[in-house]
Amino acid sequence: MELPFPLPTIPSRVPTEAYLILSGILFSLGCMGVLLRKSALTIFMSIELMLNAVNLSFVAFARQLGQLDGQIFVFFVMAVAAAEVAVGLAIIIDIFRSRRTADIDDVSWLKG
Amino acid sequence: MELVTFLAVAALSVASALMMIVQRNAMYSALFLVLNFFCLAVFYVLLGAYFLAVVQVAVYAGAIMVLMLFVIMLLNVAQAEPTDRRLGLFRPFGVIAALILLGELVAVGARYGSAPSAPVAGEPVSLAFVTPTPLPTATAVTAGAATVGHTQEVAAVLFSRYLFPFEVTSILLLGAILGATILARKRPDTEDVAHVAIVQGERVK
Repeated sequence: MELPFPLPTIPSRVPTEAYLILSGILFSLGCMGVLLRKSALTIFMSIELMLNAVNLSFVAFARQLGQLDGQIFVFFVMAVAAAEVAVGLAIIIDIFRSRRTADIDDVSWLKG
Repeated sequence: MELVTFLAVAALSVASALMMIVQRNAMYSALFLVLNFFCLAVFYVLLGAYFLAVVQVAVYAGAIMVLMLFVIMLLNVAQAEPTDRRLGLFRPFGVIAALILLGELVAVGARYGSAPSAPVAGEPVSLAFVTPTPLPTATAVTAGAATVGHTQEVAAVLFSRYLFPFEVTSILLLGAILGATILARKRPDTEDVAHVAIVQGERVK
């Protein structure tokens, strides 16, 4: 199929390493959020941040290698993240309903 | 020009991620995370992944974050959220662990381009995963760079080579729907006990 106009191809001048370093920074920030926050919702958002950081490096590698597989992987990661958010938020709502809290220190009754 | 855009948006994305962690109010955290998602969509455009950029905005910033904001408002966590008071000694260790991880990731990322594509003599072969794999031939790269990321190409690969994972994803989403529905369902027995205990002022054990 021929497009009526050529799609703009943006030259790839930003090196892949820059994207990898940025991805590492974002992943570490997400990790820090998981380690330092006590609110279940903030921890959840930090996990989303880490997933996105990994997605960024996937896309960067896809461009570097000139293959689409990395982008397909990002697509699947997004689908899994959507499923994870739905189930995770349902769990948080359930906990909040029974405990009236979103603080993970108050839901440590699984501890042995 | 592309480099300027990259640097500006990179600074914005790191700043928004930092603000997301620092914010006490879960609502502000969620909004900063949305900003971060938009920054990532810009990166996807820069990398030529136009389809993923649109999906990023529609699915992540649209669907997932709206769901999260909905839950935040529903639970009204802004008032219920305690300060992170019991972290104590754990906080510096958390920072140190995250900084170590940051150092490792940045070191590996910075090494990627400078590392030789062929294993150096004396270097263990097990380190090969750090070094970039031998790149495809120049023609393959240039041909890929021109078309990679366009929706048509993505669909062609997704519905041929990755058809089975794609179908499995639909089953996963179906399972997630069922699980979320069952988990969020109102359960009178547990709720009544907890609610009565809270009304009476005692902590549920």
